[in-house]
Amino acid sequence: MNPFKRSPFVIIATTLVYIFLYAPIVGLILYSFNASRANVTFQGFITQTSDRVVMDGSLVVASPCGAFHWYCDLAKNRDVLEAAGNTLSIAFTATIISTIIGTMSAIALQRYDFKLKPFSQLALYIPIVIPEIVMGIGVLTLFSQFFGWLNNALALSGDARLSLGIFTVTVSHIAFMVPFVTLVVQARLQGFDKSYEEAAMDLGADEWTTFRRVTLPMLLPGVLSGALLAFTLSLDDFVITFFTNGPGSTTLPIYVYGLLRRIITPQVNALSTVWILIVFFAVMAIQILQSRDAKPRHA
Amino acid sequence: MLKKLRENKALQGTFLALPTTLWLFVLLIIPLFLTLIISFGKRSPDGGVIYTFTLDNYIRLFGYETNCANGQSACFDPLYVQILWRSLTLAFNTTVIVISMAYPLAYFIARAHPQKRNTYLFMVLIPLWTNFVIRVYAWMMLLRKEGAINIILGTVANWLGIDFVPLEMLYTPGAVLVGMVYEFLPFMILPIYTSLEKIDNSLYEAAADLGANPIRAFLRVTLPLSMPGVVAGTILVFIPVMGTFIVSDILGGRQVILIGNLIQRQFLDARDATFGSAASLILMVMTLIVTYFYTRKFGFGEEIVAA
Amino acid sequence: MKSKSLFNLLAVLVMASMALAACGGGSSAAPQSGGEKVTSTGYACPAAEFPSEVTSKELNIFVWTEYIPVEMIECFELVYGVKVNRDEYSSNEEMYAKVSAGGTNYDLVQPTDYIIALMARQGLLQELDHAKLPSLKNFDSNYLNFEFDPGNKYTIPYQAGTDSIVVNTDAVKTVPQSWADLWNAEYAGRMVFLDDSRAVIGFTLLTLGYDVNTTDPAQLDAAKEKLKELVPNVKLFDSDSPKTALIAGDVDLGMTWTAEALLAQQENPAIQYIYPTEGAILWQDNWTMLNGAPHADAAYAWMNYTMQGNIFWMMLRDFPYTNPNAAALEYAKNNEKELYDTYMASPITNVPADAIANGHRIADVGDATPLYDDIWVQVKGGQ
Repeated sequence: MNPFKRSPFVIIATTLVYIFLYAPIVGLILYSFNASRANVTFQGFITQTSDRVVMDGSLVVASPCGAFHWYCDLAKNRDVLEAAGNTLSIAFTATIISTIIGTMSAIALQRYDFKLKPFSQLALYIPIVIPEIVMGIGVLTLFSQFFGWLNNALALSGDARLSLGIFTVTVSHIAFMVPFVTLVVQARLQGFDKSYEEAAMDLGADEWTTFRRVTLPMLLPGVLSGALLAFTLSLDDFVITFFTNGPGSTTLPIYVYGLLRRIITPQVNALSTVWILIVFFAVMAIQILQSRDAKPRHA
Repeated sequence: MLKKLRENKALQGTFLALPTTLWLFVLLIIPLFLTLIISFGKRSPDGGVIYTFTLDNYIRLFGYETNCANGQSACFDPLYVQILWRSLTLAFNTTVIVISMAYPLAYFIARAHPQKRNTYLFMVLIPLWTNFVIRVYAWMMLLRKEGAINIILGTVANWLGIDFVPLEMLYTPGAVLVGMVYEFLPFMILPIYTSLEKIDNSLYEAAADLGANPIRAFLRVTLPLSMPGVVAGTILVFIPVMGTFIVSDILGGRQVILIGNLIQRQFLDARDATFGSAASLILMVMTLIVTYFYTRKFGFGEEIVAA
Repeated sequence: MKSKSLFNLLAVLVMASMALAACGGGSSAAPQSGGEKVTSTGYACPAAEFPSEVTSKELNIFVWTEYIPVEMIECFELVYGVKVNRDEYSSNEEMYAKVSAGGTNYDLVQPTDYIIALMARQGLLQELDHAKLPSLKNFDSNYLNFEFDPGNKYTIPYQAGTDSIVVNTDAVKTVPQSWADLWNAEYAGRMVFLDDSRAVIGFTLLTLGYDVNTTDPAQLDAAKEKLKELVPNVKLFDSDSPKTALIAGDVDLGMTWTAEALLAQQENPAIQYIYPTEGAILWQDNWTMLNGAPHADAAYAWMNYTMQGNIFWMMLRDFPYTNPNAAALEYAKNNEKELYDTYMASPITNVPADAIANGHRIADVGDATPLYDDIWVQVKGGQ
């Protein structure tokens, strides 16, 4: 136990910071009920009379959803759903692959010495310092040249031609996600207590078994943290995705950014609110599950 | 073959690191190399690249101008240096403010009941799960003249009977700073939390036993041990702020050009990939230098972990 | 344990994503056999006036965000049984960067006039076979055969408009009548401008009596100095949604384009659109086919179908721009009288002839492009 009590300064500061973090979110949610299409100022909550709602003070719109008008609008918007689906499937695929190869390289860098090592380490820093647009355009040029050459070499034409799409986006995402996974796992490995592994080997386990039954489970929190970080990065990426996507592979950030730049309806707010709620309930569910089967923790 | 793999440790290492290295080499290093080559080129009339070797782009970046206002043959045009300086200042200010806000929160969470820590952490992460641009846009709704903050302040002022003129918060440098701080705050909270959480309680007990008061304990025990977290957080905040252009575009009304905007403009509007490439490389080199010296001084480590 | 909670979180998200992918990834309205073709909004799709044989199953279009009515796409999909894949961009420069790099598989894009000459020079565009475009006759000849594409070799018009002065007459005492008036100190800190270097430098050149497309460095220098006086008076630059700041009262006047002005006026009738004495800036968005388009037959079918009067009239309903399609206006006059009247009555959408005659069009300046951009960076970056 920390013999020094928590000072009131810390508590006040913490509360203020949390308020700061959530003020825009609250605003976002409130405005998703805005009785205004332009969504510039808040014109009150949507109220419903029979099956009509009033927008912008005068326009009457038929809507069975009442205060949730914008949510119903959102559900009818197949573009958004398609974009959301794309975003998630790209994020998942990219996360799985980058976690696997990222963990592998973290172990390599932390525990082995090999000629490739300094080169690998340097390579990992680049995605962190490179401006996104440089990477975006660079990768686009690369794909264009490569596809151009490959299409000619294999004499592909029409729809069979290789071109930008979900595949290229996923591949690019993995490139900027991997360094983060590697760093996180490497950090976890740094403070790693090798005595468990040594004990296992003393008891007769070979290297692979030790890795599988001892190292990996102990490493798992770091691996999952890295995966979570990578996943978040992929979800939010705009610049690189813009330059590497193709017809039909629009992701949510691109769709939203484009939408925000032209028409700002509360539909976007509704989308954000839904997204937040999904995550919120997922977290709550996990907390409940956790407290149910929580065993006494070590001090 | 497999046997050789089992025996040769160096080979194992190579095998493990190979996928990542290859991936990064193809997708990043090759394009970077291309960027380097392009930065020494000349702009073709239609915006393409003429591959040659000239240092013109770099010279231009550092301010050397040949068509000067007062007829001199050569003079210093501080434009790009000014832009760079402005970006550095913004990044620095953001980082300082972020640290001062993140530290108490991280401290609070680290000292909280172990079972509650996850909840507090997830509460920090949840805003991150909305879209980056939406979050910036949400601040617009709060900051504008008829936005939420002014509405609240106006109601309070009316209630107190004071005259109230709505504050002009949006489209100012202050708004950009607020936006940047908001976007990158979680990236500082998590590393600091990680390093604070690792501090063994027995150290505090020892300090107390030796007669230290809370402030001394903080200064001599907590702060130094949490430095790796602060360093990691700084890297996760400072570097992206240098390259972000969306926040200053949306919240700053596109009045101010930062280095991120400059680079973006070169590739899109000016169609001058040569100059854009040079600017990007200079930015990257500067970032690397700053990172290198910073981590040398304060130690780099484990706390770049985000959770 | 942290790992378990994280694992559970991931599991929940996996399920959520699969659900969403299943919902959204589903194909468009299935082609209906025989009889009426009706869209999801209940609109009855007209038959094709200029039908053609289409073997492609898909069409890839790269278009401006929110610029095509939903029914237009759905009707085309229903009538021709072709799936339309749409990617969007928010600026011509983004579109050009992507298309010029290659590797994309788009059939049609919607460039604005000034970038077309550049794209043609780079060999990005395919020449249109007018024999395959019977719908070309639907257009008002005033919108054809411009300098940026003589003979319409590469383009057909889509929507046209202007960039001009917009004022909230309730908030502003002296209403500006010319670009030069914007330098008035009364307007300091109350203006919104487009974040468009060519348009802003362009009107500055106009106030000095120069051409908007000049490449003369001396003239550009003079424009730069004049612009440096103006920029500090601008509250914000916005090429995405300048009407927002106007409606919200963050600014009282400025420059914007057709649609934004009309939408702002709808929200606040005191907002007026003024064509300045030096002349407004005219622009036009066009359809063009990319070289190597994989579904050229579908592309021609699209252009013919969507340019029918009984389809293209939707633009009047959904997007307040100037409509270059005479057949669409004719259809609206006979079938959607209210829409037609509103369109014709407003000088914003129905630009008066003298404003058009007085107007200027931005053109590609080739080698001088970095010069313009440099001025822009200098006037904004030196703050």
